[in-house]
Amino acid sequence: MTSEDTLPPNPLAEGLHDYRVADPSLMVIFGATGDLSGRKLLPAIYNLAKQRLLPAGFGVVGAAIDDMTDDTFRKHAAEVITKHSRTQPVDEGVLHAFLDSVFYVKVDFGKLDDFKALQRRLDELDHARHVAGNRVFYCATPPPTYETIAEQLKATGVNTGAGFHRIVVEKPFGSDLKSARELNTILQRVFHEDSVFRIDHYLGKETVQNILAFRFANSIFEPVWNSSLIDSVQITAAEEIGVELRGAYYDKAGALRDIVQNHALQLLALVAMEPPVAFDANAVRDEKVKVLRAIRPLQDEEVARATVRAQYTKGWVLGEQVIGYRQEHAVAAGSLTETFAALRLFVDNWRWAGVPFYIRAGKRLPKRVTEIRILFKRPPHLMFGHKAAEDLDPNAITLRIQPEEGISLRFGAKVPSAGLRLRDVTMDFEYMTSFLIETPEAYERLLLDCMIGDPTLFTRADEVEAAWRVIDPVEAAWRDDRPPLQMYPAGTWGPTSAAKLLQADGREWHRA
Amino acid sequence: MAPGVSASPDAELEPEWHAEGVTVGDVLTALSDIRRKFARKDAGDDEHPHSRNRVMTLVALVDSEGDEKRALRACTAIAVHHPSLAIVIREQPHVGEHHMDAWIATDTHQSSSGVAVQCEVITLHVGSASGDHLAPLVDPLLLSGVPTYLWWLGTPPFETRAFLDSLKIADALVVDSAHFERPLHSFIGLAEVAATSHQHLGVADFQWQRLAPWREMIAQFFEPKDRRSFMQGIAEVGIDYVGVGRGNRIGPSLLVGWFASAIGWKVQQAVGGTGGVAVVHYIAGDRHMEVVFRPVAKPELAPGEVSAVRITGAAGGRTFQLSIQRDPERPHRLGAEGAVVEFRELHPTGDDDAGTEVAERQAVRHREMLLKNREMLHHTATGDLPGDSGARNPTVLARERRLGDSALILLTMIDIGGAETLRHVQHVNAEDEPTLLLQLLSTGAHDAVYDRSLAAAADLMREL
Repeated sequence: MTSEDTLPPNPLAEGLHDYRVADPSLMVIFGATGDLSGRKLLPAIYNLAKQRLLPAGFGVVGAAIDDMTDDTFRKHAAEVITKHSRTQPVDEGVLHAFLDSVFYVKVDFGKLDDFKALQRRLDELDHARHVAGNRVFYCATPPPTYETIAEQLKATGVNTGAGFHRIVVEKPFGSDLKSARELNTILQRVFHEDSVFRIDHYLGKETVQNILAFRFANSIFEPVWNSSLIDSVQITAAEEIGVELRGAYYDKAGALRDIVQNHALQLLALVAMEPPVAFDANAVRDEKVKVLRAIRPLQDEEVARATVRAQYTKGWVLGEQVIGYRQEHAVAAGSLTETFAALRLFVDNWRWAGVPFYIRAGKRLPKRVTEIRILFKRPPHLMFGHKAAEDLDPNAITLRIQPEEGISLRFGAKVPSAGLRLRDVTMDFEYMTSFLIETPEAYERLLLDCMIGDPTLFTRADEVEAAWRVIDPVEAAWRDDRPPLQMYPAGTWGPTSAAKLLQADGREWHRA
Repeated sequence: MAPGVSASPDAELEPEWHAEGVTVGDVLTALSDIRRKFARKDAGDDEHPHSRNRVMTLVALVDSEGDEKRALRACTAIAVHHPSLAIVIREQPHVGEHHMDAWIATDTHQSSSGVAVQCEVITLHVGSASGDHLAPLVDPLLLSGVPTYLWWLGTPPFETRAFLDSLKIADALVVDSAHFERPLHSFIGLAEVAATSHQHLGVADFQWQRLAPWREMIAQFFEPKDRRSFMQGIAEVGIDYVGVGRGNRIGPSLLVGWFASAIGWKVQQAVGGTGGVAVVHYIAGDRHMEVVFRPVAKPELAPGEVSAVRITGAAGGRTFQLSIQRDPERPHRLGAEGAVVEFRELHPTGDDDAGTEVAERQAVRHREMLLKNREMLHHTATGDLPGDSGARNPTVLARERRLGDSALILLTMIDIGGAETLRHVQHVNAEDEPTLLLQLLSTGAHDAVYDRSLAAAADLMREL
């Protein structure tokens, strides 16, 4: 909980469903003409406007190096919103009203004068739009620019004065523990930690938030959520796409840094955390940090046994032939970067002692699917006899993050017949068919949270650092080629060594 | 967050089963057969049929062919995305005392994730005796463990025993107080039902739902920290509404009831003036506030709709004015084929409540007389012998209190401390019935704020 949240609730907001309104503010988007802004941010803000979740006075100030005016930036914004909005067709009335609150300032991040001009424009808008100095600075720019932007904001004093001043940065939050700490130090020199919003868009997904609701709003799951009854946990984050236009970035990052360090470990933390005392920013994040710190670091020789790294070669995905990773645009011809990572981790605490957490993440796998599979132990004694229960698998709960968002429970049932035979059946919950609400885009939720000042779904500095502590030893061993890089044809579930990782424990990957 | 409906069904559903003079047992048997057939078809070669989901059971009570169509349209629009069971019941005097004419239609859609979504729509035409015993009629058709919403199109007979009994099967009663005949009388009846009904019953009102954008805009104005103190500095609230009869003040009164009860104002005195103007004096501690209701002529709006809200005051050495108005430049609405939607009013109404209510009672009597004598009138008009042909169900509109397309644009203007006026435009999605119904159902029909506002509004209406 931050000091900004101490105001008593607005009595007029009571009973207004989904009423989450921020104080009016100006959101400055650095890199406003870029890909992230066009594909995600501007469409998300438009959809917030469509849902009437933006307060009167709210404004977007695009800041980028391109020569644009308010009008040309508005035209650009209209185009990208029309193309990328999740709600189609775009409501022209809403769009035009929204564009009236969109502005542009040309900013070269290296030029202090440009930041001074930005400051002047913000001051003008402050006055005209009654925003009381509230500002959100969104860095939709490559991570190396974060430091420059933060320093320039400090130099011009844009981060001080009346109102709140928040900065939003996108992952990756550093490339290892050392660089993450440096980045945290830089940001915290200019902004208080409560005002630093590190976006991992996975946390904005409804299904990810529902992990907490599923675990802690129901009484029937938590008593079995421990090593006494759970055999193992599998986390799968698979994509069917390749690196697309991100080859240059991805070749430096790889699957471990790109997905496992953030998305996958965040999912692990949500599944394994203890109940927070409240659904507020610090209580939730405190518990997540405890889990991340409890993950047993893999030592040198263990990395070779407990991890798999691999790279895709040409193959067939969704019926189409695709090229191998090394043939992708902006990827080094002899690249050793992994596009697939699998790990076996243990959380060394009372609840999870001895329960393996298997993580696999990769590109050019057969399909796009993210899910968490909780596998339970078999009953201590099956009275039905081996023959009757030979088709029976252990109970399992699958939390489907995407697509087909939902939850399923697998359990055994008697096959209707004269004899006695048991078979698995599945009880399904689907968001699509169970709720009368459309699922909002993760960025909509996160942008609104940021404007409101609720950092619960953002990653705190110590979380980032705890995650890097898990990843760094793995990265170090992988740099020494331990274990050796494997190859897998695009369109398969990774190399055979990934299957062997579980087979060695008498288990197998769930067919996602 | 938008409700999950974005498409209307292309066409009316073709019934899969229809029978006349049947019992509830016959309907249940037919329904079971249809469900078995669907499960087998759905499973295909797989021996695992997909699990069936039901979000809700919606029971719609209608009293005219037009309302029946409206209810079916809303049910099928919702069912495009959400598996549900809808039961539409209409009383028909010609149907036998203990039997009914029944239709079952189903609609199946493939969700984006590939799961089949099926909805079922059961239409029952029942005799008047059955209509008076709704609970035993509907109970066997309800799905266990799924919430049941009773949507009463038109005006529920709040005082009758049959109505109160019918509430026993429902988790929530859904009405539209903007459609009530004898609006003042009925609205007070609704408030009494909400105050006295069993504790699990939620009461939901489309009219309240339509006020949500106004409530949001008012709440948003007071949201920022530096404006919270303005709540204690309000001097006057002005509400413009369309129409002059007291019945047209229901929506505005709900809005004022909500606002006053939320911030702890108590009515000190209420005075109704001529021509629909009314002034209410409120007190909170040692502060006095005034609310002024002012009727305005807005041909593009339906009677009873709120046209504008103004809140003025001063606090902390700053004056403020919040003004929210429906888009003054909004064009006339167009019908489905691009034609201007006519405001239908078959019976002239007076300028005051008495006139309105007399006209509406005339309309009700007119309809009842038509129903009673319709077979005779039909054969007189057609020359057919009795039995050769049947009368179509007559449609009599007492008063169209809502226009078809109620999409609205709200223009908010904020003046604080003499600084530049801030203009803010918000577009509100079309308030068609399926959308409103979904909004209500998706958030649950139990709304303590509505209950509180309804009670406050009813008190205010009585005072005025």
